[in-house]
Amino acid sequence: MDMHEQLQRIQEEALAQLESVKDKAGLDALRLKLLGKKGDLTLLLRSMGQLPAEERPKAGQMINAVREKLTEQLNELDGKIRRLEQQKKLEREAIDVTEPRAHTPIGSMHPVSLVQDQLCDVFTGMGFDVVEGPEVELDLFNFELLNLPKNHPARDAQDTFYIEDNIVLRTHTSPVQARTMLSRKPPIRIVCPGRVYRADEVDATHSPVFHQMEGLVIDEDVTMADLKGTLDAFAKALYGEDVTTRFRPSFFPFTEPSAEVDLTCVNCHGKGCRVCKGTGWIEVLGAGMVNPKVLDMCGIDSKKYKGFAFGVGLERIVMLRYGITDMRALYEGDVRFLSQFRED
Amino acid sequence: MKVPMQWMRQYTEIPVSAEAFQNAMIMHGTGVEGLEDQNEAVQNVVVGRILSVRKHENSDHMVICSVDVGEAEPLQIVTGAPNVHEGDLVPVAKIGAVLPGGIKIKKGKLRGVESCGMCCSGPEIGVPDYLYPSVGDKGLLIFHEDYAPGSDVRPILGVDDTIVDFEILANRPDCLSVWGVAREAAVTLGTKFNKPEIKVETVPGRMSDFVHIDVQDTDLCPRYCARIIKNVKIGPSPMWMRKALAASGVRAINNIVDITNYVMLETGHPMHAFDMAKVKDQHIIVRRANEGETIVTLDGKERALTTDMLMIADQTNATGIAGVMGGEESEITEETTTVMFEIAAFDRTNIRLTTRALGLRTEASGRFERGVCAATCREAADRACQLVNLLGAGEVIEDVYDCYPNPRGEQVVTASVARINARIGLELPGEKMAEILTALDMKVTLDGDTLTAIAPDFREDIENEADLSEEVLRIYGYEHIHSTLLRGETAPGTRNEHMRINDKIGRILSGKGLYEIRNFSFISPKLVEKLGLEPGDPRLKPLEVTNPLGEDTSVMRATLVPSMLGTLSLNQSRNNETAMLYEIGPVFDITDRKPGELPHEQPTLCIGAYGEKVDFYLIRDIVLDLLARFGVSCEIVPGAEPYHHPGRAARLMAGETCIASVAEVHPDVMATFELSRRSVIAEINLELLAKLRTKMGHVHNLPKFPAVTRDIALVMDESVTVGSVLTCIRKHGGAMLEKAEMFDIYRGAQLLTGKKSVAFSLTFRNAERTLSDDDVNPVMQKILTACERDCGASLRV
Repeated sequence: MDMHEQLQRIQEEALAQLESVKDKAGLDALRLKLLGKKGDLTLLLRSMGQLPAEERPKAGQMINAVREKLTEQLNELDGKIRRLEQQKKLEREAIDVTEPRAHTPIGSMHPVSLVQDQLCDVFTGMGFDVVEGPEVELDLFNFELLNLPKNHPARDAQDTFYIEDNIVLRTHTSPVQARTMLSRKPPIRIVCPGRVYRADEVDATHSPVFHQMEGLVIDEDVTMADLKGTLDAFAKALYGEDVTTRFRPSFFPFTEPSAEVDLTCVNCHGKGCRVCKGTGWIEVLGAGMVNPKVLDMCGIDSKKYKGFAFGVGLERIVMLRYGITDMRALYEGDVRFLSQFRED
Repeated sequence: MKVPMQWMRQYTEIPVSAEAFQNAMIMHGTGVEGLEDQNEAVQNVVVGRILSVRKHENSDHMVICSVDVGEAEPLQIVTGAPNVHEGDLVPVAKIGAVLPGGIKIKKGKLRGVESCGMCCSGPEIGVPDYLYPSVGDKGLLIFHEDYAPGSDVRPILGVDDTIVDFEILANRPDCLSVWGVAREAAVTLGTKFNKPEIKVETVPGRMSDFVHIDVQDTDLCPRYCARIIKNVKIGPSPMWMRKALAASGVRAINNIVDITNYVMLETGHPMHAFDMAKVKDQHIIVRRANEGETIVTLDGKERALTTDMLMIADQTNATGIAGVMGGEESEITEETTTVMFEIAAFDRTNIRLTTRALGLRTEASGRFERGVCAATCREAADRACQLVNLLGAGEVIEDVYDCYPNPRGEQVVTASVARINARIGLELPGEKMAEILTALDMKVTLDGDTLTAIAPDFREDIENEADLSEEVLRIYGYEHIHSTLLRGETAPGTRNEHMRINDKIGRILSGKGLYEIRNFSFISPKLVEKLGLEPGDPRLKPLEVTNPLGEDTSVMRATLVPSMLGTLSLNQSRNNETAMLYEIGPVFDITDRKPGELPHEQPTLCIGAYGEKVDFYLIRDIVLDLLARFGVSCEIVPGAEPYHHPGRAARLMAGETCIASVAEVHPDVMATFELSRRSVIAEINLELLAKLRTKMGHVHNLPKFPAVTRDIALVMDESVTVGSVLTCIRKHGGAMLEKAEMFDIYRGAQLLTGKKSVAFSLTFRNAERTLSDDDVNPVMQKILTACERDCGASLRV
C-alpha cells in the first residue's frame, strides 16, 4: 500500500470514528490514536524517511493537510461536546426561582417625611431655603409678632397648649417666619416644615400633634400674583399639570389680603366626587400678603418691602396622596401600614 | 350662623338661586358652611280634613280615617294618634311624601288595613310647638285656622325657607347679623341694601320716673343705652317673627323676649330685657365686682367674682354679669308690665377674660368678645322699640338713657392706588377702587393716586391701606388674580443641616430595612416611670404642659424610648412578626432651664426592633454603620441604662463622648411595656453627630504590592472582650497592619472552664514593596506580647 493509500485510509477511518464519538473520553482517545506520539499520522510521518528524497516534500504536504483537517474536525467536535456537557451541567443546576426566601425588605421613611421631602424639593428648586425652629416656642414668636396680641379672639381658632404664660407649644410653623425676619435681611425665601400642636382631641381627621410647612417670601416687588404663581407651580409639581389653585377670600391676622387656597380635586380632577364633596376643589392651604404690621414688628421696613406667606398641612396632603382615611394610622406605627410606603 | 333667606330678602334683592348665592358669597369673603332647604326636607304634605273616624278591628289604639286632601276621592289613612276628631284639619303626608331625616311615605297595611298616607304631628314635619302651637309628639298637629284641603302645609307652618349657614371670619363681627350679611350680599350681587326706616311711636315720660342708671366703669362699658316700655302685654309673637327665630335656631318664648332675640339676630346687638318690677329700688349700676363678691347666675350656679369683672348690679348686689349672663330675678314673665331694654357695648377683652375665668360662654358673650359696635347701639335700641310698636306689645317711653361719653371718631384711611395695585398684583384704576369701597358704605375721595376712605361705624376692622386692598380685591374677585413667577435672583435653595442629616439617616436606615415612625412629642409621665430610672434622673422630671388634653399627653418627652417601646408593644400585640423602627425627634431637656426660658431641644434618633433575625448585634452594627457613614468611628464599651439588659448593653464612644447606646431591653421593662419578645433599643444623639461628623477625605488607592496574612488564635478569659483585644492588636500593629478582624470564637472541652479561644486574621502590607517574613515576624511578636500583657490573651498552641 503506498503512502497515499495509507493516508486515504487513515482519513476515512478517522472521519467514520469521529461520527461515533459521544463524549470527551472518546474524543481524547481518538485524538491520541491519530495525533499522539504513536498515533497513526505520527507514525506515517515518521515512515516518510523511507521515501525517495524528491517525493518527501509532496508527501509531507499531503500528510500535513490531512493532519490539519483532522485537527480542525477534532477541535470542532471538542467544542460541540463541551457545549453539550455545559448544557447538561446547567440543567442539573437549575433552581426554582419562584421559591420564597426569608429576607429583610427595604424599609421606608414615614409618609409625612416622604411628602415633606417632596415639598422641600419643589421649593428648594424655586430658590427657597429650608429653615426650622423650636417646637416649644415663645408666645412672642408664635402670636404677638404675628399680629395676634394677647386675648385676641383670633387666638381661639388655635387652641393652644401652654407650658408657661409666655411659652406655648407652637400652634403653627409661622413663628419660624418671625424668627427668620428678625435674623435675616431681605430678600427672603424660606419654607419651614415641622411639628405643630393644637388642643384637638384625636379622631379620624384631627390630632393634637400634626405637621405643617410654612412659606415666606419678602422682597421689594412681591405681589399677590407671585403668590398665586408660586402656589400654582407647587400644585403642578405635586399633583400634575392639570391641577390649578383657586383663591378664596379669608382672614388671618398675619396676612392682608388673606386667602384660603383650594386645589383641583386630585381624586376626580375637578369633576366633583366624594373626596371634594362634589365641589371639584379641596382646601389645602392658607395664604396671603404679609400684613405690614407683622413686617414692622419683625424689623422689616413695610414701606420698602412686601411679602407673601402660605401654610400647608402635611397630613392633609399625605391623606389625599395615599388615600388614607384615618389620621390615627399615621402616628400608631403599625408596620403593616408603614411597609406600604416608598419614595416616588 | 344660620340666616333664613326670606329674612335677608327683606333687606336686599337676591336675584339668583341659593346655590349661586352660596358660591358668590364664598368667593367674595363670606364663608358658607351649607344650605338647608326646608322645602326639600318636607315634601308632598298637605292640609287634610278628617271626614270620618272608625275603629280598627284588629287594634285597640288605632283608628281608620277618611281624609279629604282636596282630591276627587278621600284617602283612607290608619293612625294611632290619640287626638283624632271628625272635622279637624291636620297635616297629611301623602304617598311619596318626604319628611325630615329623609323618611319617605309609602302605601302600607297596618294590621291588615290599607293606609294611603300618614297624619302627622308637629315634630314629624319639623315644626316645634313654639313655632306652631300643638301637642308636640303626643298627637296630631291640629290647624287653628281654616285652610282648603290639599293646601301645601309648609308656608302655613313656617317651614318653607332656605336657611344659609354662614361661617363669619374673625375680623367681621359686623356680619354676625342679618343686616351684616344682607349688606355683603348686596355688594356681592350688585344689588342694593335697604335698611328699614326706623321710627318709634312714643308716649311721654321720663326715664328717671322708672329707673336710675349709673354706669361707673365706662372704660369697660363704652356705651349703655336703655329704653322703657310700659303697659306691656306679654303674649306670643306673630308667626313671621316666630318663623324667623325658629329658622335661625332660636326658640320663640314671648313677644318681649322674642323682640330682644330678633333684634340681636338682625342687628348683631345682644339685648337684655329687665322686668322693672323686679329691679330693686329701680337702680341699675354698671360697676366692677367687689372683692369676694359672688353671684348666682341664671343657670343656678354660684360663681366667685374678681374685681376685673363687670357687673350689672342694684344698690347692694350684683344681679348679672355684664355681657355674659343676666340674673334670675329680673326675668320677663307673664306678669311683667314694665320692661327696660338694655343695649350696651362692653370691652371685648374684658368679656373674654371674664368668660375664660368663669368657664361660662353665652351667645351674648361670644358676640361681645368678637366685638359689638358701640356706635350703632342706639339704632338697635330704637329698632327694638319699633318692633314693640309693630307687635302692640306695650308703650314706648319717649325719654332715652344713652351713656356714650367717648364716641369713636371717624376712621380715615389714606392709601395709594399704585401701592394697592402693587400689593394685589392688578392694575385697577382708582375709580374702580373708589366704586368698590363706596359700595361697602365707605366715604371715598380720589385725588390722583391718593385714595381717602372713611370707614362706616360698623367696620372697625378697616385700619390701613392693606385692609383697603383686601376689600378692593375680594369684591373685584380673587379669580382675577394673575399667576406670575417670582422675579429676582434664582439661586437654588438649600436644606438646613439638621434636615440634611435626617434625610441621610432616613435613606440609610430604610435601606437597612427600618421603617420610620412619628409619635406624639408629649406622653404620659407614667410611661416614663415604667423605665425604672434612678430617682433624681432628670428624665423623670420632664417639661409639663399646663393644659394637656389628658394625663397621657401631659409631658414633653425627655427621652424617645417610652414611645418607641409602646410602638413595639403595639406591633407585638397585633402579631406582627418583625418590627424594625426608627424615630427622629427632639427630646426636651430642661436640666438647666430657668422659668421663662425655652427648653433645649436635642435632636435624637431612637431605634427599636424585635423579630426572628433581630438581635443586639444586628442593631449595634446598623448603628455603627450609620455613624461610620457620617465619618464617626466609635469604640464599643459595655454599659447600661436602668432599662437595659445589664449584660447586653453597650455605649458607643467617640473618643471620650458617648454618642449612642444600644441594648436589649431589660426583662422587667419588657414586662411593664407588655413586650413578650426580646427587643433591642438604641438611642443616638444627633446633636453630637452633627458636631462630630467629618467630611469624606481622600481614598486609599489600590495597593500595588501583595499583602501578608497571619491567622492567630488567642485564649483568654470569658470576661475579656473581643473589642479590647482588637484595640490592643491595632494599637501595636504599627503602620504595616492594614486590617485586623475576628473570624471565629471557640468555647469547649479543649479549653479550661471560663476560657474562650478567639481567632483573628491580620493583614499586613507595605505600599512600597513586598513584605517578607522578616518584616512581619517582629511585629507579630510585638502584638502577641502586648495581648498577653494587656489582655491576658495567649497564643493557643
